[in-house]
Amino acid sequence: MNQLAHHSPGQSALQGVREAIPLLGGYIPVALSFGLVATQAGFSTLEATAISALIYAGASQFLFVGMIATGAPLWLVVLMTLLINIRHVVYGPNLAALLPRSRHWPWLMHGLTDQVFALALTRLPQLPEAKRFSWFVGASLLAWGAWIIGTAVGATAGEAFTARWPLLGEIMPFALPALFLTMVAPRFTDKRWAVAMGCTILAALCLTLVGWSNVAIPLAAACGALCFYSMKFYMVKVDTRRRRES
Amino acid sequence: MSTALWLAVAVSALGTLLMRVVPFLWMQRRLNSASGLNNMPEWLGILGPLMIAAVLGVSIVPVNPSAVSWTATAIGLAVTLLVWSRVRSLGWPVAAGVAVFGVVEVAALLW
Repeated sequence: MNQLAHHSPGQSALQGVREAIPLLGGYIPVALSFGLVATQAGFSTLEATAISALIYAGASQFLFVGMIATGAPLWLVVLMTLLINIRHVVYGPNLAALLPRSRHWPWLMHGLTDQVFALALTRLPQLPEAKRFSWFVGASLLAWGAWIIGTAVGATAGEAFTARWPLLGEIMPFALPALFLTMVAPRFTDKRWAVAMGCTILAALCLTLVGWSNVAIPLAAACGALCFYSMKFYMVKVDTRRRRES
Repeated sequence: MSTALWLAVAVSALGTLLMRVVPFLWMQRRLNSASGLNNMPEWLGILGPLMIAAVLGVSIVPVNPSAVSWTATAIGLAVTLLVWSRVRSLGWPVAAGVAVFGVVEVAALLW
């Protein structure tokens, strides 16, 4: 109650910004790389930055510029870009109950990336309802802004940057697995969740290692869901057998 | 960039935005409807946390996989988990994990 009395949209947005800072460790190096790859593929700084601002989905952007550079037909480029991004379909419904209704969602949902979704799904339930909208605005705008600026810097000075600080590009992205680990860790107290989560992490890791990173997230999550329901079925079966025996 | 290419960017951007916003608005309407559908389907609630686990699995692979980077990843994740078990927040565990990961990478380079 006291917390709500002191609530202001600006403070909540700042809290969102603060809590999204760890995401930048992963965003900036990838955005720098994208800017560099896009200019090497023949795009100008403005074009590369516009792609980042408008499409705003890492893996599909790399595929987009890569396919354009190899001369693939445009309809195929668009189709492949959308196919990679199809995983976003399940993110919105998961957040629907946690966020208030607003006429601003049609444009604010542009900021719903893999990482923002993961952060929002973890943090929103812990925040008072009045703070959630502003928190989401702060967190998603910081991530979007960093992605755009990172691309512009990568397109203009990417080569010089990576040549001067080669290790930074390797160390900073570790912020992402570290952040996601702190998000999934609380679920490991439940046996069924622990098995499903472990199965999902392992499947995603293996799929990425064999070069299937574009489909790793939905496929691994589907594997985990299968595991979750198998465990549920198995536990019900064991429970029924025990009851019969007793 | 040609007009056709700008159009391809616009269609990709619009399609991606629709994939983000339409399911969100659809679920919000469904939750607030008078039809009594006030709960999210169970499978969707399960898929959400599993998606985060999948993003973790994808991001665990180091930028340049090698024995050193895998070792640094394992140590970094262990430290992150250790700090998280003490403070139960997001900021400090991430900072500690990245710092230790960086120290291992730099130490391996200097050694």
